[in-house]
Amino acid sequence: MSSIIFLENLVKNYGHDEVITPALRGVTLNIEAGEFTAMAGPSGSGKSTLLNMIGGLDRPTSGLVRVEGRDITRLSSSELSRLRRERIGFIFQSYNLIPVLTAFENAEYVLMLQGVGTGQRRKRVLQLLEEVGLEGLENRFPRELSGGQQQRVAIARAIVSEPALVLADEPTANVDSKTGQALLDLMRRLNEEKGVTFLFSTHDPAVMKQARRLLILKDGRLDHEGGMVAGEDAN
Amino acid sequence: MIVRLAWRSIWRNRRRTLITVSSIGLGLAFAIFFIGLAEGMYDQSVDQIVRTQAGHITLEHPEYRQAPSVDLWVDEVKDLKTRLDTWPEVEQVKVIILGQGMIRSGSGNVGAALMGVEPSTEADVSPVARNMVKGEYLEDGDGPLVVVGSELAERLRLDLGKKLVITSNDAQGNLVEELCRVKGVFRTGSEELDAYFVQTTLNFARRLFRLPAETATQVGLILKNADDQGEILNRARRELAGRSIRVLPWQMVMPDLASYIKMDRFSNLIFQGLLIFMILFTIFNTILMSVLERGREFALLSALGTEPRQVRLQVLMESGYLGLIGCGLGLFLGGLSVYVVNMLGLDFKSLLGEGVTISGFAISTEIHAKLSPGILLGSAAVVFGATLLLSLIPMRRAGNMPMAEMLR
Repeated sequence: MSSIIFLENLVKNYGHDEVITPALRGVTLNIEAGEFTAMAGPSGSGKSTLLNMIGGLDRPTSGLVRVEGRDITRLSSSELSRLRRERIGFIFQSYNLIPVLTAFENAEYVLMLQGVGTGQRRKRVLQLLEEVGLEGLENRFPRELSGGQQQRVAIARAIVSEPALVLADEPTANVDSKTGQALLDLMRRLNEEKGVTFLFSTHDPAVMKQARRLLILKDGRLDHEGGMVAGEDAN
Repeated sequence: MIVRLAWRSIWRNRRRTLITVSSIGLGLAFAIFFIGLAEGMYDQSVDQIVRTQAGHITLEHPEYRQAPSVDLWVDEVKDLKTRLDTWPEVEQVKVIILGQGMIRSGSGNVGAALMGVEPSTEADVSPVARNMVKGEYLEDGDGPLVVVGSELAERLRLDLGKKLVITSNDAQGNLVEELCRVKGVFRTGSEELDAYFVQTTLNFARRLFRLPAETATQVGLILKNADDQGEILNRARRELAGRSIRVLPWQMVMPDLASYIKMDRFSNLIFQGLLIFMILFTIFNTILMSVLERGREFALLSALGTEPRQVRLQVLMESGYLGLIGCGLGLFLGGLSVYVVNMLGLDFKSLLGEGVTISGFAISTEIHAKLSPGILLGSAAVVFGATLLLSLIPMRRAGNMPMAEMLR
């Protein structure tokens, strides 16, 4: 397997001048393509910041971020947009669907940006919405969907373009345990069947159990890293 | 998708959008109405005045303008009139003899302008003919008869059939006198006309000033459409190039009136500009607020791989939609109000009284607004263009949203 994420001595500080808050204090990490990795740690440990750095949503203060071998800290805004559009899918804790678009249109959005044709777009989106259990709800707006349904749409949007990497920030935090498990099953299936690499942050032990590899972040540092088989307790 | 996003986004806050487009619409409608009203007043004033004087375009001796005098005449005016009458853009050709003289009666004397006209031509177009308060207007075959302004009549105690003597210099510089009688008295509301203006027939004026037959001091062209002035001016200059005639627009014949209109139009535009500026400031605030409120959403679009220029385009389209709807509303309301005032007119008599003058010339208090595609589309284009320009700062903000911070 090849490295899909490589971080070296990654540092991120917030604030400036005399008031500096360190969020990441030199994280070094390698994730291979096809991994299903969970990242745990207390609030403020730097999980979201780390995901933002990998996804190119924010620039590090120092250090190296490579995604599929490319140093993304050197990419322009436009090149980063292209990378996110074509190679990375995002799932956010609070769904972050576009409120004025229907479930179908939200899932379709990235494909439109990629310039995929109408017929192919429609086929892929409908198939995926069916897979995530949203058949018949395609024309509903986010406000007309439950939290779990919205997160399913968000997952569909993240994977519809079959990205190499999906970054998920606490994807089950705002859904009930049953829905959370269903979402995890879905992500796991995509990982196994399509080889999509997943890296997600979580507080949920159930999510950690599903991961093949668990990373623990504490005070902006990688405190513990261990490979684990799904179902094994995190230590 | 960006088109759809922009369209749906503006309707997310329906009330705000309705207030914004109403502001644009009403502001534009006011601007169109007031510009249309002012332009209508200018056109109407010019139309009334050029009909009293020497037309939209005046043909005269090349040196007349420097020192107006009856010895500087244009000859062969009959042929000239016949020829110019065939031009389709020309409504009427006026032949005028304009001179100065002393009007004397048993009660005193007053210096006045004396105008010799063709009564049959004037009867249809001249405010003097239309504002007779005593007696009758002149006829082509009249002998030594004049119509005088009401104030002049009062000052010299003139009445219908009364005698008066006109003393002047003829074309050879000799002092001449002619006795004539009052055929009618007019009141236009203009002091310049009512107190110092006497009109008589062309033939009697020629006799008074000892002018040769078929001569006149001025030949005036009244146009069917004042907007054709430039074209007809060039044509007349081209076709009369070989003759000793100077072709002038009314703006050069009556520079005071032209300056007044220019100044008034300028101040009117400043007023309209301020009104639109205030409205645009509100719109800028609305667009900026709308962008700042949706910072998270713009950050999300960027996170999903939307190029910054596409995000900016969405904001531009939202402003464009607001501008289009607002301008559509403004064009409808403004156009309708101008149309109504164009058809029915608006009488300012109660506000302005009867004697409204511009540069000494009386004009009607009933104003008909000017309905012109140029005013409608020009005003709308300015407002629409300004709305798009105003979105530049919000566009920039939307395209540079700090994603990590907004999505946290």
